[in-house]
Amino acid sequence: MTRWLLRRVVQAALTFAVAIVLLFFLMRAAPGDPLSRLVGERNVSEQEIAVLRARFGLDQPLLSQFQAFVAGLLRGDLGVSIEQYPEKVTSLLAARIPPTLLLGGTVLLINFGVGSWLGVRQAVRRGSRFDRWLTRLALAGYATPSFWLGLVLVAFVSLRWRLLPAAQMTDPLLPLDAGFGTRAVDLLRHLILPALTLSLTSMALVMRHQRAALLTVFRLDYITAARARGLTERRVLWRHAWRNTLVPMITLLGLWLPILVTGSLFVEAIFNWPGLGSLAANAINARDYPVLMGTAMLVSGAVIFAGLLADIGYTVADPRVRPT
Amino acid sequence: MIAGRLLAPLLMLFGAAAAEARQRPPDHGTIVIVVGREPSTPVPTLLGQKSNNDVSDLLFLRLAHPGRGLITADEKSFEPELARSWTRRDSLTLVFDLDPRARWHDGRPVTARDVVWSFNRMRDPAIDPANALLLRYLSSVTAVNDSRVVLTFRKSYSEQFFDATYHVQPLPAHLVDTIPPERFATSAFVQSPVGNGPYRWVRREAGRSLELAGNQTFFLGSPKLDRVVILTAGDADAQMNLLLDGSADVYEALPPVSGPPRIAGNPALRFQTQPSFGVLFLLFNQRAYGDRSRPHPILSDRDVRLALAMALDRTPLLHSTFGAFARLANAPSAQAHWTSTLVPNGPAYDPAGARTLLERRGWIDRDGDGVREKDGVPLSLRLNVVASSSPRLIMAPQVQEQLRRIGVRIEIVRLEGPVWNGRRNKGEFDIDFSSSVLDPSPTGIVQSWSCAGRSGTNVAQYCNPSVDSLIETAISSTRDLERNWRTAYASLQRDVPAIWLATPSVLFAVHTRYRGVTLRPESLYSTMWRWSVDPTRRIARDGTSQLAQ
Amino acid sequence: MIGSLAELLRRAWAHPSARWGVGILLAFALAAALGPLLLDDPSAMPDVVAGATPPSAGHPFGTDHLNRDILARVVGGARVSLAVAGLAVLLALTLGSAVGLAAGYSGGWVDAALMRVVDAALAIPRLFVLLLLLVVWERIPLGALILFLGTTGWFGTSRLVRGEVLRIRQEPFVAAAIALGASPWRTITRHLLPNAAGPVLVAATLGVGDVILLEAGLSFLGLGIQPPTPSWGGMVLDARPYLSSAPWTALFPGAAIVATVLAVNLLGDALSAALDPRSA
Repeated sequence: MTRWLLRRVVQAALTFAVAIVLLFFLMRAAPGDPLSRLVGERNVSEQEIAVLRARFGLDQPLLSQFQAFVAGLLRGDLGVSIEQYPEKVTSLLAARIPPTLLLGGTVLLINFGVGSWLGVRQAVRRGSRFDRWLTRLALAGYATPSFWLGLVLVAFVSLRWRLLPAAQMTDPLLPLDAGFGTRAVDLLRHLILPALTLSLTSMALVMRHQRAALLTVFRLDYITAARARGLTERRVLWRHAWRNTLVPMITLLGLWLPILVTGSLFVEAIFNWPGLGSLAANAINARDYPVLMGTAMLVSGAVIFAGLLADIGYTVADPRVRPT
Repeated sequence: MIAGRLLAPLLMLFGAAAAEARQRPPDHGTIVIVVGREPSTPVPTLLGQKSNNDVSDLLFLRLAHPGRGLITADEKSFEPELARSWTRRDSLTLVFDLDPRARWHDGRPVTARDVVWSFNRMRDPAIDPANALLLRYLSSVTAVNDSRVVLTFRKSYSEQFFDATYHVQPLPAHLVDTIPPERFATSAFVQSPVGNGPYRWVRREAGRSLELAGNQTFFLGSPKLDRVVILTAGDADAQMNLLLDGSADVYEALPPVSGPPRIAGNPALRFQTQPSFGVLFLLFNQRAYGDRSRPHPILSDRDVRLALAMALDRTPLLHSTFGAFARLANAPSAQAHWTSTLVPNGPAYDPAGARTLLERRGWIDRDGDGVREKDGVPLSLRLNVVASSSPRLIMAPQVQEQLRRIGVRIEIVRLEGPVWNGRRNKGEFDIDFSSSVLDPSPTGIVQSWSCAGRSGTNVAQYCNPSVDSLIETAISSTRDLERNWRTAYASLQRDVPAIWLATPSVLFAVHTRYRGVTLRPESLYSTMWRWSVDPTRRIARDGTSQLAQ
Repeated sequence: MIGSLAELLRRAWAHPSARWGVGILLAFALAAALGPLLLDDPSAMPDVVAGATPPSAGHPFGTDHLNRDILARVVGGARVSLAVAGLAVLLALTLGSAVGLAAGYSGGWVDAALMRVVDAALAIPRLFVLLLLLVVWERIPLGALILFLGTTGWFGTSRLVRGEVLRIRQEPFVAAAIALGASPWRTITRHLLPNAAGPVLVAATLGVGDVILLEAGLSFLGLGIQPPTPSWGGMVLDARPYLSSAPWTALFPGAAIVATVLAVNLLGDALSAALDPRSA
């Protein structure tokens, strides 16, 4: 088991390394002076230019540049932001992770909670009007651009009906001495719309996956046997059938995360949610390349890590499965 | 049972809140202002953009300010601020007596030394060339004693008093005189400025908000709006949303297209207009894109610039953005300037004439793709537009379309504030869609349109010495002012260094619960310390506890 | 080979969702083709001062904030979106198939290396790759945009094709054919196409939807397609300040995106149901 685990971790690390190489070449492939990409519109002194040249090996051959790049990475140095100079990219990223985890975690719960449940219901009532219409609705949701849905929700829920706030994570005008309860309610009110937007546009994936997985399980022999034994349908469903869909559902996590990341860039930008997505969106506008690159690396690492966790997760869920 | 358990703490909460509300007088309140760009350096000598100016005017005072009519050439109309009184010793000398009650926010008195230090700092062309240009006629500033300052000028001219009082907002010498100029922008003082105005610095949350508190010992009267929060929202849409959902109380400059109708239906908001010092214009880069050593391959030809100006029908541009709330601009002169009536009309709308002119200069569409070429170079220009300006975003596609009809290809480059500003300063533009808030005095024209201004805000590097001398004549004259200004403006127009589009009014949306709302066109929020809240119309944030210690 | 593909399409057509999907797409394609003949110029601003006007007889979708006919712009956007998506997916398909075939056929370290790269590329969200490219290149011609979109979308297809190649290699009849002297290459490729066509087609169809959403997102961020060429994402961006006062300016471009992507997904749904009826 541990040998397998070790191999898997090494694989993941290798994949991450390749991703870093790909990103490096992406960075170098772009036209223009790499210095301007690091510095942007700021006025820089001669000594700072010298420092940057040394740090990133800007005048040197490609291999040395790559070495400098990796060396910096291992030191935990992802460079300095252009827009929020002299903030370091790593500290900017770190500050933005908790809000994104909060939003992402909420969407995860909604998708894999509600979405799974709906998928199960669909599989049970396969072929019914309920099943067909839910598929269409889910597909429609999946086809909806998250930025558009977010704007529509803001226009009606926030601006027209004044039910929920239009932007940000917290009310900047909350007094400093507001209690925990007030803060929690405030946070929740700000969380609803962005979470709803992201959930609606990505739930289809989870629903369909759950449905398909359950249908596959239903065809298995031991389900027929369980039914023959006289167990209630409900017991068969939840204690036996659904349990067996955990593995494919956990696999889905790896696929689902990039979709969440893409969606949150737009949703966080629209709702001004102070997470990684809005950091990236701002970085685009500010042409803040170091921040954009740092975010890309972090997100790639997270996706690979999530895949690794998923692999570990389903060997725990089903010891018979041993992926190679 | 659970209800009972909740009741006691709830009652306590309410009681505490009520008690807190009682501590603040009934006509006191909070005001939340939305701005488009973050006021990251609201400190004199670092200003540069409007939101910085607005905040700085709350923190720092001037010696005096122009009176109601804004006739900057009439020194009798000025009103005291830091200087309680003044006398004119002779045509070249002014003597100011500072108000002895004036204090810095750290308690120290404002002294003549502060004023002298600040003037000398701003006059130094090595440190601040753009502002030094404005004070070029000042020959010396000296402190006679702790409260008396003598300003001596090189020549006598009509706007002399304005120059003596408007440009310099004194800084506390005892806190900043040891900071080298090149480190000033990143110094601790700028992170937490100490001023002498009606509001004190509280804190800033980078990228989001800035908070000020009323200076209860302000010598001209203590502010009733004792908590000021300034929120930054990058685009006009977000700014409007903050106002409409009740998060903000004041919002400035909305084009009628997305503004007043949405506000008109809202009983909590009203809007008022005010003549402004703003001008919108399309600035032609005289030098090559990003390379000031070469002239611009297309735009250095005056006839091409003139053709572009002739091809634009500016009236629909205006009406589609500002409606009735703007006038055509023909020169760097705004609605509120006393010289605005002296500006001759610019080139008339004549697309046929524009086409003829371009052809005469050799720009012909030989390959039928709708874009003219000359010597293989297509007549294609990049128009830089800042994304946070709704009027400019609305006008840019119209400019693109109108110029397309005479065979000019315009590429709209939409940029965020700091990026747009950076490119502007470095000359990385063909045409820049500019918007300036001009000095209340027409003499500010030298900063951006004179040869000397090229090291400062004259980013297009426009330079015509004969125009310079005509402007100087207008500035330094004490008689025949009107005729001289007219001549100066006409000569600038003939060169077509830009296409001036509009000088809009300032539109304000203000929450109706405020009383005594007055606005000064040249320094918007500087009278805010006199406003108050109608005690019967208070809202939640007016009653929250004061945060300033 | 052709037989089985035709069979697949026939089975897919039996599903109502396929008919809806094809119907909607045909409608858009028709509109895109006929648009320039029947509708106004999408850039024309006849009465710019009037601004955004609600849907009326003269303007079925209303006008945007510059008084441009929204129907004409939606149709104009359709031409661009469909063309870009179609070409980009075609490029991705070609690249993916080539790499997948190469990896599956070669085996060994070539296969391992290629798949490692594919795994790594799949981990980097496609949007970020595009952003990193477009932030530097700023305004690029349409062809370059298609190139970028295509070269960032082939990874999943290559996995699919590789999987099929590996599966076919293990079939007994392949070993038999090779033993009899047939060229391994021709044997595998001859059986690859009919078997891989189905899943690849499904992936391609869904890929079109992804590209449409991606391109709309890029336009919404101000990258990608530049004015005055109409783009659905760009139209939503322009409509942002007018959401409350003129909701139709954002509604119709957004609906167009939803309709086309939905149509494509319905089609993909029907195709995958036809491939494996038991999971329908």
